[in-house]
Amino acid sequence: MSALKKYWAIAWISAKSNLAYVSEVWSRLFFLAVILYVFMCVWKATFANNPAGRFEGFTLNEIVWYLAFAEAIIMSSPRVTPLVDEDVRTGAIAVQLVRPLSYPLYRLASNFGEQIVRFATTFFAAAVIAVVLGGVPDNFATGLLFALIVLPFAFVLDFLGYLLVGLSAFWFEDTTGLALIYSRLTMIAGGMLLPLELFPENFRLVLKGLPFAYIVNGPAGLFVHPDLTVLGMVLVNQLVWIAVFSLLVAAVYRKALGRIALNGG
Amino acid sequence: MVIVMKLAVEVDNLRKVYEVHKRRGLFAREKSEVVSVDNVSFSVPEGQALAFVGPNGAGKSTTIRMLTGILRPTSGSARVLGFDPWKDRARMAFHIGAVFGQRSQLWYHLPAGDTFDLLARIYNIDPREYKKRRDELVERFDLGALIDVPVRKLSLGQRMRAEVAASLLHKPKLLMLDEPTIGLDINARHQLRELIREWNRRDGLTVFLTSHDTGDIESVAERVIIINHGRIVLDDTVDDLRNRKEFAGLSLEDALAHIYGLEHDASLDDDKVEALIS
Repeated sequence: MSALKKYWAIAWISAKSNLAYVSEVWSRLFFLAVILYVFMCVWKATFANNPAGRFEGFTLNEIVWYLAFAEAIIMSSPRVTPLVDEDVRTGAIAVQLVRPLSYPLYRLASNFGEQIVRFATTFFAAAVIAVVLGGVPDNFATGLLFALIVLPFAFVLDFLGYLLVGLSAFWFEDTTGLALIYSRLTMIAGGMLLPLELFPENFRLVLKGLPFAYIVNGPAGLFVHPDLTVLGMVLVNQLVWIAVFSLLVAAVYRKALGRIALNGG
Repeated sequence: MVIVMKLAVEVDNLRKVYEVHKRRGLFAREKSEVVSVDNVSFSVPEGQALAFVGPNGAGKSTTIRMLTGILRPTSGSARVLGFDPWKDRARMAFHIGAVFGQRSQLWYHLPAGDTFDLLARIYNIDPREYKKRRDELVERFDLGALIDVPVRKLSLGQRMRAEVAASLLHKPKLLMLDEPTIGLDINARHQLRELIREWNRRDGLTVFLTSHDTGDIESVAERVIIINHGRIVLDDTVDDLRNRKEFAGLSLEDALAHIYGLEHDASLDDDKVEALIS
């Protein structure tokens, strides 16, 4: 119990510390305005040839809100990889290891606090623009509730992916390339650029079998189309992938500890 | 009457060998071994202030990291406050404090007081006990006006005082300091040394200090161990080292440079070096 308390305390202090960056919300507002406007123009053109006013179950307004939610997840994505990379390379990891803490759990808690603040500010900015562009969506409250239920698990899953990339600093000279590939995979295979529902069926099935879908598409899809069955399915997939990634992190971290000396020692 | 001295640190034939891979061509790699710490043995009684010094790459950091349980030695053994650092790292962490001069444990955008609150949770300190300890540290480290100021607004000297105070919050029996005064101005250095010395002399805190600054060694430590090429080349009290005939008229800095120089002189074999030093 006290172990849980200490990691909550880390998440809390991290969230508090990141409030220092709240003013970033204005720059995000501008960036999101451009992105969402461009996407809306593209989708408007697509919908112009679609007399039913729906595209694979999405209205234009739902697409805009889906993008707003998905963008908020991607833009609040953790900066874990460069932090872990730096900890490993400079030997700063030693500061954490002399305390009665688990380094991966410390980073998880710290990241969680940071991501909550970043997501809240980014989603606020995205929501303002989406309201201006298309108005408030149907099922806003239910959608938000469903999305917020799965969002913490999406954050944990995303964190674990980035942590794995960051831990590769124990073996590789530079993790930037890997982190870039990982983030692009999350954007594309996760369904930020295009909701996975719009992909051809075979391809969609493959993508839904990957973890990225439950970082972006799961929460964003539930936000615009809240559905109890989908909620359950997303949660189960998230938990399975979190278990798989946790086992991987545990194995890699154990190996990595044996290599600390070569990096900054 | 026999006085039994309790030992804070016991090190026996500690050795660390790193494997280094060198690239030979596009795919081939050549493996070689680098001995970083070479069968080092020493002990530190409780309450002693020890300076563990040596030139860059001598094996100081590797030794400290083995003693804090971060690194596993290739061979040999060590006990720190009765704990095996590699098996009991988490439990041992409750009893040791550590300050790494170039790595901050304080949250940069928040007041130091917030980090203190967090550390109280991390070390499971009882809230009433924590308040008492925090008040004591704030008073003795003169942090009253600084504790609620965001760390980014503190000078380096003020920040280091807060760093050391934070590392003492959980009442450690052993404090490890790695270059604690690096980058500080004369006043801040002096103030920090005085504080560390006071905690060592008055509160019986065992201090394990590494530094390239001879001022730190002279002000804080009563004993000095010099390590070079992974081996201990000198283990003596600071007073005795200063009073040695061969170093008469030399500052401690010059004496250390002399010892490091002897070690680096390839024309001297190990026995000659040891004979010259001892």
